[in-house]
Order: sequence, then C-alpha cells, then structure tokens
Amino acid sequence: MEPTLSRSVETNGKIRPKQRLSIDYVGYAMIAPGYLIYFLFIFIPLVVGVYYSFTNYNFYSAPEFVGLQNYARLLQDALFGKAMYNTFIYALFTIVPQLFLGLILAVLLNGKLFGRVFSRASIYIPNVTSMVAVSMIWLWIYDPALGILNRMIKVFGIDPIQWLYNPNTAMMAVVIMSIWKSLGYTMIVYLAGLQSIPSSLYEAAHMDGASKIRQFFSITIPMLKPTTFFILVMSCINSFMVFEQVNIMTAGGPLNSTTTVVHQIYLRGFQDFQMGYASAMAIVLFLITLVITLINFKYGNQGDDLDVD
Amino acid sequence: MGKLRSRSMGLVVMSVVLLAVSLVMLTPFLIMVLTSFKTMGEIQSPTFSLFPKVWHFDNYAEALSRGDWLKYFYNSFVVTIITVVISLVLNSMAGYSFARLRFPGRDILFFSVLIGIMVPAQTTMIPTFLMMKQFPLAGGNNLFGQDGIGFINSYTGLILPFIAGSFGIFLCRQFFLNFPRALDEASQIDGASKFRVFYQIYLPLSKPILATLAIFKTTSAWNDYMWPLIMTNTEGMRTVQLGLTIFRGETNVEWNLLMAATTLVVLPLVVLFLAAQKYFVQGIVTTGLKA
Repeated sequence: MEPTLSRSVETNGKIRPKQRLSIDYVGYAMIAPGYLIYFLFIFIPLVVGVYYSFTNYNFYSAPEFVGLQNYARLLQDALFGKAMYNTFIYALFTIVPQLFLGLILAVLLNGKLFGRVFSRASIYIPNVTSMVAVSMIWLWIYDPALGILNRMIKVFGIDPIQWLYNPNTAMMAVVIMSIWKSLGYTMIVYLAGLQSIPSSLYEAAHMDGASKIRQFFSITIPMLKPTTFFILVMSCINSFMVFEQVNIMTAGGPLNSTTTVVHQIYLRGFQDFQMGYASAMAIVLFLITLVITLINFKYGNQGDDLDVD
Repeated sequence: MGKLRSRSMGLVVMSVVLLAVSLVMLTPFLIMVLTSFKTMGEIQSPTFSLFPKVWHFDNYAEALSRGDWLKYFYNSFVVTIITVVISLVLNSMAGYSFARLRFPGRDILFFSVLIGIMVPAQTTMIPTFLMMKQFPLAGGNNLFGQDGIGFINSYTGLILPFIAGSFGIFLCRQFFLNFPRALDEASQIDGASKFRVFYQIYLPLSKPILATLAIFKTTSAWNDYMWPLIMTNTEGMRTVQLGLTIFRGETNVEWNLLMAATTLVVLPLVVLFLAAQKYFVQGIVTTGLKA
C-alpha cells in the first residue's frame, strides 16, 4: 500500500493552483453509501468486539464488564492452547510445501510447454470451488472403508488407515487437502512474479555461460524474494482463519487433534454462547493478523512487486 | 543439431510431467463426478472400478429431492447477485471519489477504510451477528433492538456484511488513480457534473476492474459457509453450501447423492472460472489478493 500513498501525493502535487481551490463536495455523497456500510459492518463491529472481549456476555443478559479476565482465562485454557498449536502446525505444513511446489509449477508453466493453458486451469480450479464442496469430496476420498485412498493403498498390501478418525493422521489429512486446494493460488502469484523478472538478466547470464540451474538459483530465486515473502504472509493470514474444512471433516476431533483458533471461536461463541470469551479469542486472532500484515508492509513492498501483468 | 534435439526432448518430458500433475489435481473432481453416477451397491462392492457400470443420471434428481434444493439454489443466487451488483456500484463510486475528487478529510476516510483490509471477517463475526440480531425495527425488533429476530434469517442479514468491502474500494481506487488527469479536465470544461463524469466516462472504461471485483465477490458470496451457518437457522433460508452438509449429518452417507449435489454446487463457479479465466488470472496477478 506504500506506492498508493506516494502516488496520491504526486497526483495532488500536479494540480494547478487555480484548481487547488475547487473542492468537490459531491465526493462525500459518492463515498457515503459504501463508507457507511463499511463503517457499520466492519469498523463498528471491530470496536464493539474489543469491548465484548472485556465482558462476560452470554447473549441473553446484558454484558458485564470483567476487565482482563477473559484474556487471563485464555492463557490457562488448555483447549485454546491446543487450538493455537494445531493452527501453527497447520500453517507450517501447508505453507512450506505450497511455496515449494507452487514455485516449481510456476517455473514449468512459464515456459512454452504443450498444454500450458489446460495445466494452469486444472491446477487453479480447486481454488475457485468452495471449501465445503472440496471437504465433501475429500471426506469421500478419505472414507475408511470405501474411499479411494484406502482402496489404492490396499493394492500395495497396506492396511486401511482411519485417516480422519485417528488423532495421529487427522491433521495431516486436512493439511494435504488444503495444499491441494490452495496450490493454484501460489502458482499464479509466482507466475506473476516470474513475468516481472527482466529477460535481459537471463540473456546476460546465458552469454556468460551460466547453466539453467545456475540461473534459477542466482537470478530466479533472489528476484522472487518479494513474491515469496508476499505469499508467505498471505498464507500465514489465511492459515490462521482455517475453519470450514475442520468443522466439516473432523469437527475438531478426534481428541481435539484438529481444532483450530477459529473453530474454538465458533464453538465458544455460537454453541456455548460465551460471546465475551469468544471475542477475546477473536481479538487475539486479529492482533496476530495485524502483526503479520505490518511485517509485510515493512519488509514486503507489497504491490510494488506484483503490479505487473 | 544434437543440442536442439535434447532441448526439445526436455520440453516433451516437462510437458508430460505437467500433464500428469494436472491430472492429479483434477482427480478429486473426477472421482466426484464418477461417483455421482454410481449406485450405492456399486460403491459398497469390494471390487472397485473407476467408471460406473451403468450411468445413473437419476442420482441427481434423487439428490435434489433430499432437502429443499430449489430453495437453496434460489437463496444462493439471490444473495450472490445482489451482493455483486450492490458492491460493484458502491465500491466503484467510492473508489472514484477517493481517487479523483478532492474534499476535506478524504485521506483520513480512506485510511480508515484501509484498516478494514487487515480485519479478518472472523474477528468481527460475533459483534456483527449481535448487531444483526439487535437491529432496531427489523424483524419484529423495537426501537432498541429487542423482542424480535432482527435480520437473522433474512437476505439482508446474509448480504449486508458482504457488500461492506474495504478491498473493493481499495481495488477500484487503485485502478482509477492511473487515469490521466486530462480526462477530468476535458470533461470539466464541457461542464459535466462529477457524477456524470463518473458514470459516462470512468465507468465504461473500468470493465477490467469491475469484472475482477465481480468474480471475487461472486466466489466469496457463493462459496461462503460460515456466515450463512451463523446467520440462518431455518430450512427456507439455507444456502447451497449449508445444503451440502445435510448429507453429512446422516450416519450412513449416501456418497453417490452427496457427490451429485456437490457437483451441482461446484458447477456454476467452474463454468464462471473457465469463461472468465483471463480476467480471473489477471485480477489475481494485478492485485495479488483474494477477496
């Protein structure tokens, strides 16, 4: 968002002195409807959410101010700790393979290969379909008795695995599905990054006799650093929001092995009606997102690097 | 000559590898579609075959009869279309003003909009739900938001939080910033009002950004699960995503019917994606963001 600022200053600077005086009050009218909705349904709820996080609120009686009590309870809540841990594990194991595979696929798809358009579409399609639909499909794939995965490993003489019903494999099963779902996004963003690298760099390296592999490590990887950073930040934020696949496929189980932060917010807020406590969790979630986003602004030069065709 | 041949051999190998990856990526969808045509008997049989022995097209009719699917699809279409139309109008108008007009407080207003981009929907979900429930004079509520259900179980409740788009306003503003200043000046000399300049000059030129935003909004509204889950509690207000979870509730899942319903829910967006692929990919590339 930094380039935005500098650009708007530039635009203002170009205005001639005579025009400087003209103020378009019609601007207020044109912004009003969009801004009002934003203000009512994002800004106010955020402020109110902070307030609720300091209260005991069970939905049926008026909120009662309790200070930092909810946050103190968060620190001692073993289930929330487990959810935090699971969320971190989920993030780690989805993001790393996704970065790696996304980069390789983008590099391959950047070349003039046969069936390039088809490949791009097939890799991206999981990303446009809903998480609910995708979870249903993978529930079927992971089905212990009839699912295709266990039927396939049976061919190799491996006993059926209770993918989603075993605390040791459930999270990994969710992770694998999530990598499949979001790989296309990483690939597309990397593709954009690759296209922004000036081809003259490769030509010069070619003249100097650098091999393709050498070029990849000395030009491609360093030039893609901002893109990688951007994907890393976006994936971190998205990983912290993980809910749908967990709620649908495992309901947080077995033995809480897949419960996540947002899943806990949902359970505490909308099943136990502990709106105050759930709000405290939501605020913690927001703070984590905020820190990640700010790191992105500071080091990532977001937008600058991706503003290419 | 030899070097050239080994180079083209490499391309062939890489093309084959990519094709294999593409097929692996498509396999889950393939399984979904093929299962949707099988009978439960065939699904449960110990001998497995990928393709159905007999293609049972009536699975689709059967799946749709489990639940009020006509209503779910209708609800999802209504919510998605209204969300997209309203947010395109409001966001482009606000984006234009932020980018091209000058008035006191503009930059502060814009900064407050930017904050919204960093707020995950899950953070504001509880207060937003309570606001919807306690909305004054809605759904039998009195002036203080009591006694009724507010916007719960209503299209308004489903739609309102989705049209509130920091991201949309930001996207449109960025797009309009790149227009040449001369465009405004020329129309100003002609004496056109700012609003006319917007809808007669800017709007027709902003098809790419409107298409991008429309696609983002369509996918997020059509695919959403959590907000309808919280916001609705009657059969008649369910959306397609919630409809899918009905099959899951049963102890013995009828996979063929579930996969048929899933296919139908997935289909509109896959078609949209294939039709708008160019805009879609471009939209992601230029913004790097997904709404």
